[in-house]
Amino acid sequence: MNSDTIQLHELMLNRGTFFCYAGPLSEEVLTSLSSVVKDQLTETDSASPITNKVFSIFVEQAQNIIRYSLDRLDKSGVGSVSISHTSDGFLIEAVNEIDGRSRERLEEILTQLKHMDAAELKAAYKQRLKAGPPEGSVGAGLGFIEVARRSSRFDFVFEERNAQTLFLYRGWVNKPA
Amino acid sequence: MKIPATSRTPEVDFSAGLCAIKGECYPEDITEFSSPVLSHLKEGISNAEEYKVVIELYYFNSSSAKFFYDFFEYLDDSACEGTKIVVVWRYREDDDTMEEAGEEFEEDLEHVNFILESIG
Repeated sequence: MNSDTIQLHELMLNRGTFFCYAGPLSEEVLTSLSSVVKDQLTETDSASPITNKVFSIFVEQAQNIIRYSLDRLDKSGVGSVSISHTSDGFLIEAVNEIDGRSRERLEEILTQLKHMDAAELKAAYKQRLKAGPPEGSVGAGLGFIEVARRSSRFDFVFEERNAQTLFLYRGWVNKPA
Repeated sequence: MKIPATSRTPEVDFSAGLCAIKGECYPEDITEFSSPVLSHLKEGISNAEEYKVVIELYYFNSSSAKFFYDFFEYLDDSACEGTKIVVVWRYREDDDTMEEAGEEFEEDLEHVNFILESIG
């Protein structure tokens, strides 16, 4: 028990994770977390263009969990969100369970976005704005494009374990050289 | 008529011939925020020959982007029908994200006089 506590403490400090939330996420919880994250970001880095991008990715990832996590508790989606310092900026990470059947569709959308340059992402964003939300989307269907546009790079992984499919979604924001 | 800001929605201030939006926009429920704003806007524009919208945003999320898109589309349609409409998009000098967002909205507008203004 004690060693768990120490391990968690050391893990977070060693990887530069200054914010982490794991558990049921609702819009109400996001409101509270947002103000904490904002305070932390302005304390650690006052350059607002960078912290705005970090905050933006954090909100999109959190709302993604709230809306689409397979693991649910009332109106909340269960998952984790965290923000860490890296050598050249920030890493924003999210993990939640998804329905194994949506894996293929997510993989397709995210792979497409990963290969787009800034101009293509802008075009995709505008096209989605004009067309409105796709079927099965609660928001405007723009969240993944937003993360792709605000991050310096992003990646995603699907992990199958104990008959569950975990969706790992990470975005990096680098400070300008 | 003033709709006060909340932690996740901007202040929206309506007066004769003017709508001013200032703050951050990432509401829990975008419709709850947007419905009164759009209805006040429509009422204001229907009574005006000239109308000005001043927007100063520091952040909006992807769900709100659709609202702003529809908001501007309505303004552009009204301008096309004869109301003289000016939009002032104010952004902090170093905020390239909000500057870019303003430029992108502007690209799709044909009839509105859209002014990008850096606020230092």
